[in-house]
Amino acid sequence: MQSNRALQFFWVLALAAGCVACGGGDSSSGGGTAPSAPVVTGDNVLAITVNGSLCSSNSYINKPCVSVTICSPATSTCQTIDDILLDTGDSGLRIFKQALGVSLTQVTSGGNPVAECIQYADGSSVWGPVKTAGVVLGNEPAVQVPIHVIDSTFGTAPPACSGAYRTPAEAGYNGSLGVSFFAQDCGTTCAGGPTGIYYTCSGATCTGAPVALPIQVQNPVALLPVDNNGVIVQLPGVPSGGSPSASGYLVLGIGTRSNNVPSGVTAYAADTDGNLTTSFNGSSYTGFLDTGSNGLFFPSALPNCASPDSAWYCPASTQDLSATNKGASGSPSGVVSFQIANFETLLASPANNVFDDIGGDNTNFDWGIPFHLGRNVYIGIEGKASSLGSGFYWAY
Amino acid sequence: MTMKGRRYALLLGLGLLLLFLLTARQTFAALGEPVDSIESDRESLTAVRGAMTTHRDYTVHEIKTDSTLIREYVSPAGIVFAIAWNGVAYPDLTELLGSYAGEYQDALRQTPRIKGRRQLQVKTNRVVVEKWGHIRDLKGRAYAPDLIPPGVSIDAIK
Repeated sequence: MQSNRALQFFWVLALAAGCVACGGGDSSSGGGTAPSAPVVTGDNVLAITVNGSLCSSNSYINKPCVSVTICSPATSTCQTIDDILLDTGDSGLRIFKQALGVSLTQVTSGGNPVAECIQYADGSSVWGPVKTAGVVLGNEPAVQVPIHVIDSTFGTAPPACSGAYRTPAEAGYNGSLGVSFFAQDCGTTCAGGPTGIYYTCSGATCTGAPVALPIQVQNPVALLPVDNNGVIVQLPGVPSGGSPSASGYLVLGIGTRSNNVPSGVTAYAADTDGNLTTSFNGSSYTGFLDTGSNGLFFPSALPNCASPDSAWYCPASTQDLSATNKGASGSPSGVVSFQIANFETLLASPANNVFDDIGGDNTNFDWGIPFHLGRNVYIGIEGKASSLGSGFYWAY
Repeated sequence: MTMKGRRYALLLGLGLLLLFLLTARQTFAALGEPVDSIESDRESLTAVRGAMTTHRDYTVHEIKTDSTLIREYVSPAGIVFAIAWNGVAYPDLTELLGSYAGEYQDALRQTPRIKGRRQLQVKTNRVVVEKWGHIRDLKGRAYAPDLIPPGVSIDAIK
């Protein structure tokens, strides 16, 4: 483990040294370099910065950001919005009304405007209308796709969204780009009946309603003409003490071009709920990979930090741990080694924002950003095939 | 008091009793309540009752809504000591937490949101509520630690 770590650090330094002209560095960084993933170019590539230049300056730690171009439907009236959270635990584009400068077309069902209430597991929520936009990812052709406009003032929010985010500052981002393996954010459950997610509104009154799949908020990648079978999240490793920022790529498509051919990875199929199985310390949990989570969150007896950081682990010394991920059918099976360091010790260095060894308590196994640092993680979209298999799957 | 007065008092009393029973029925909620309250949860959530499974130290009653599967954990004494759920949306906890709902809401307001998490734990002196998961698979559980029957692990509630 230690030698792997040293090797990784060496690799990162070597890359950083060879990449001085690549940008993505944080000029305000007080210490260390800003690691970058090996350069990938092509029309199907979006830059990611974990913290760094694509994120707002006061971002929370381990926050992966991209920028997205959004257009009035079927026009060339467009704007580019950054500080968009890259969220592989969600599907679809959600953007705060405050960040939008182009006009979009309201999606209707039965003649009435469609709105959506999305609840997150941290107890937060977002509410607002579903509108069609032209969305440009990298230099791909624009796709016309229903997106979620986050607007807490739209109509009357249902009780589940009564505390929905009002501003980008409150949420910590201008929006989020969901590129999970689900083609829509809800799917057939929401097409079949009212679920508390989709609503149709008459005046200010919004009522739970079934909404057909094509007008649900869609993963825009699934609608691309060619690179539509998945994505690859490519992030560099960071030194064990952390880094001010890190730069990588979101590559669209799997095996659709010369820059996205799978190599040296194992595919783990997910179940229909979007989970694999993670075994840790003799127990078995549902597990998932998620760039929208900023740590490794899992059940453990490791000591929590003192308040106000009690959501994080603070072991006296860095812990070398391992868990085993299994595909939904029970195979394949692969060991993942990881480390958990003392959160408060790491955060004592104010210049650093990106860490590969922070975690906290949870009921299931949430492989967040630290897992993705130093890896290429493939996400196969449902119903689409690649040489890695048919989605949904993760491969790394 | 006249005969007529007594009759009015009796009617008023009966009326109040009926009102009490009706409102009690509407606000009956599961956690900490007798197993009968599962029926009122089912009604207020427009759900259908699913399977019932018997374990050594408790039984689990399932309730299905359009978006969520709810499991109510019942002790040998017939008291709901825990509730777990999973689905595309969270259930309305006000109904499911019953007499614990107020203190949960108060504690929730005191619990700061931590950006970047996909998990929430809210604790009061009498109840623990936890949420976790991700899109299309939002999970959670609520339990009253004092009501958990001896020998039942919290890990069984999921």
